[in-house]
Order: sequence, then C-alpha cells, then structure tokens
Amino acid sequence: MKAKLAEVVVIGGGVIGTSIAYYLAREGADVALVDKDDIASGTSSACDGFIMLQTKEPGPKLEMALESAEIFQSLGEELAYDIEYRKDGGMVVIETEEEFESMSSLVKRQREFELEVELLDKDQMIKQQPYLSHHLLASTYSPTDAQVHPIKLTLGFAQAAQHYGARLYSFTQVKGIKVSNGQVTGVVTNEGEIRTKIIVNAAGVGAPEVGKMVGLEIPIKPRRGQIVITEQVPPLLKGILTSTAYLAAKGAKKSAKITDQNIRKLGAGLIVEQSEEGNLILGSTREFVGYNKKTSYEGICAILGCATKAMPILREVHAIRSFAGLRPTTPDGLPIIGRAPGLKEFIIAAGHEGDGIALAPITGKLVADLIIKEESPAQLDHLNLERFMQ
Amino acid sequence: MRKKQTNNIRKDVMICRCEEVEEREIVEAINSGARTISGIKRRTRAGMGLCKGSTCEPLLRRLLAQATGQSPGELKPPTIRPPLRAIKLEVLKGKDK
Repeated sequence: MKAKLAEVVVIGGGVIGTSIAYYLAREGADVALVDKDDIASGTSSACDGFIMLQTKEPGPKLEMALESAEIFQSLGEELAYDIEYRKDGGMVVIETEEEFESMSSLVKRQREFELEVELLDKDQMIKQQPYLSHHLLASTYSPTDAQVHPIKLTLGFAQAAQHYGARLYSFTQVKGIKVSNGQVTGVVTNEGEIRTKIIVNAAGVGAPEVGKMVGLEIPIKPRRGQIVITEQVPPLLKGILTSTAYLAAKGAKKSAKITDQNIRKLGAGLIVEQSEEGNLILGSTREFVGYNKKTSYEGICAILGCATKAMPILREVHAIRSFAGLRPTTPDGLPIIGRAPGLKEFIIAAGHEGDGIALAPITGKLVADLIIKEESPAQLDHLNLERFMQ
Repeated sequence: MRKKQTNNIRKDVMICRCEEVEEREIVEAINSGARTISGIKRRTRAGMGLCKGSTCEPLLRRLLAQATGQSPGELKPPTIRPPLRAIKLEVLKGKDK
C-alpha cells in the first residue's frame, strides 16, 4: 500500500482530537485524524455535557474554562452543526453547615476571579429549582454554566474539520510511530503508513499506550464514571445540577467531609441534567477499576440514591439505560498539553478527566496555535509533561 | 396495478418509533461513517428509546449490512445497557441506607 502524507496526524477521534483537527484544518493545515474505533465512540460518548465554571478553583483550569465557555456561545453556528448548547445556569447544592462554609469560601474566591456566582438561601433555591428537596440547606448559582450534547459536539468538530479538508480515518489502529534523528517521520497503522512530521497524541485514556511508542511515560489513568439515563419527561430542572459532596469526591474541595462509606468508596455524587429530548442524565461515580467500562449495580444504586434524595420527584421516573465512561486522570488533576520533552514535534493533549467536553474548544485552539504559530501559548506553561518528570 | 418492487431507499419509512428516526437518517449516518449498530445509535438516537431497540435493531442491522456488503449476522450487536426494561428509579435504587 502506498504511504499517505499529512502535515499533522492527530491520534484520537474523541472530543479533544476532533477539536484539534478542526482548529488546525480551519487554519489551513493538512490534517489526518486516526482512531482505532469510530469517531465519538469512547469517553466522549459516555459522559455528561456539563460546561460548568463554578466547580473549578480559581487558577489555570478556571481560566481555560472561561475562555472555552466564551467560544461555546457561537460554536454551533461556527461548526454549522446543532450541538444542543444551552446556557441555562447551574447549581451546586449544599447539605450541611460544613459544606456551606467550604462553598462560601469557594464562591468568595471565584468572585474575586470575576466569575459570576452567588449563594442562594433555601427559598431562593427552591424558587429557582422547584423540584429540589427541602432537606437541602442552600445552593450556589451561576448563570454562566451551560450544557452541550457531547456526542454531537464531537461529531460537529469532526464534520467541520472534514469541511476544511481534514481526512478522518476511523477504525484505523496505530501500531507504531517512526522516529528518525530525533524527529517523528510517520505513523504506522493497520491500514498502512501515514508520513508526517507532526503528531498529536489526543488518545485520552489510550494516551499512555501511544506515548510508549516513542518511549514516553504519560501518567494518565482511567477513572470510571457511571451514568443512568431516564425516559423522556417534561422539564424537571433548569440548567445543570451537582452537589458539594461530589466536588469533594472529585478532589476540588478536599475540606468537605464525606460521611457515607458507599459514596466514599465509589466516589459517587450528584450530577443531573436534562437533554433537549427530555431524558434525564444522572451521574456519577469516580472509581479506579482499570479499563473496565461496565456499570455495576452498587454504582447505579449510589447514583440513584443521591439523585432521588436531592430531587424526590425522580422516584417516579423510569431508568432506561446505563453506561460507563473512562475519564483520563492525571496525578494533579490538570490536563497534559504541550510538546514532548526531547521530541518537539510530538504533542500531547490528553488527561482532561471530567473536563474534556468543557475544555475541548480551548484545547483545540491552543494546540493549533502551538503548531501553527510555533510559539507556546502562555496558558500551556504549567501543563507540559515535564511537570511529572522531576 | 401493483407497484413494482425496487431496491431504492424508501425515504419516508419510520425505522425507530420511540425516537422517531426515518430510514433517510439511518442512511445518512452510514454515509457519514457509521460502521456499527452502535455508531448508528450515536448518530441518530435510533434504538435509544423506551423499547431499547427491540423493534428497530433488526432493521438497522439489515440497512447496515446492505450498505457495507456484510451479512446481517456478521455485524456485532450493540453493547447491552442495563436495565433491560424501563424500571422506576424508586425500585431500581434499592432501599435507603
């Protein structure tokens, strides 16, 4: 088979890979994207669609999330694809005095960072979200939180990338990477070789495997998140909903105390959103179980326990499906985005854990800038792989 | 007079009743790269409704097989996503701890 040629080869057809392919192709780069499976068939097809700003500590991640949120406002039009983007705000519910303290302090720090977020008392909370349980103490509210359809977002990026000339090779497995004199020269796949001088590793939970092909150790581990989908019901909530306990499980708020042993073990917490069609998306868990993508009965029970406790009306709704996705986690909770040490034209963009959807647009844009403008954007200063190599 | 049978796509035929997906949309999904029943589901929502694909899955299988030149039996079934039937959250969640 004759070798194909491409200026840049992106490995990974999830939301990060397709976003990078789109921004590169839009700038005129000749891009080939490969994925061992279908486009949008892994993590990006098994997650919620939260674009939540107020769950993030002020710092590099919130900064990137803010930039991403800005891009999302007109992204559907730009991609000419209905990504079901809605900006209806979001809430973090508070159950205990202790949680209230920790959320008050987070909200204060976020407001200093100029994020639009406030604390609501119980009456204001119930007025905003009438189906919430009266046992809840209070909540936060931010009008900047939004949601999007993760699969449609990924397919939208892919289609728009193709529109600008990118070639998509799905069901194409990367077998090896050719390096000569410290330069990458090609990607070997089961469908033949693609010669290239620049490779982007956007393989998510598969990024360590791709890294090994060039002798790099990429510290990304899969973390399972289970999700339950319900039948279509009339609107039961506005915007997106999560809990302080879940933030604590996520590691954003270590001070909040987790008492429930089951939740402690499974990292379970509250995630609720409603799709445009009316299905409720209920999550989630955070479990280290290797590459196991099955759902578990105890995981589903823990999720439904949290959801029906926060919104008692959900007891009457039917579950129709459950699934799990593997979130690519890094030791410090920040993604790895940047050139590989010692192999300049091998770029890593992976490890977004549960923020892949929210951070996809800004990640794509920054990686395209890094490749095309040849100078590293300042936002990437703390996201390189070297930070784990001390 | 009886209509002559053809192999043309009947563009207005409803394939998935739960999610109201027409044959035209299934064909579009295949043309845009879907090569598995799961791939069609993700692109069109066919099979994602209350009946969980019990009506449309054989139809999806046939359309995909036709388009890719495989036999319907060769195609991988979509992943099973429990519960097998719609069940109330009250029941599924078990007892409160």
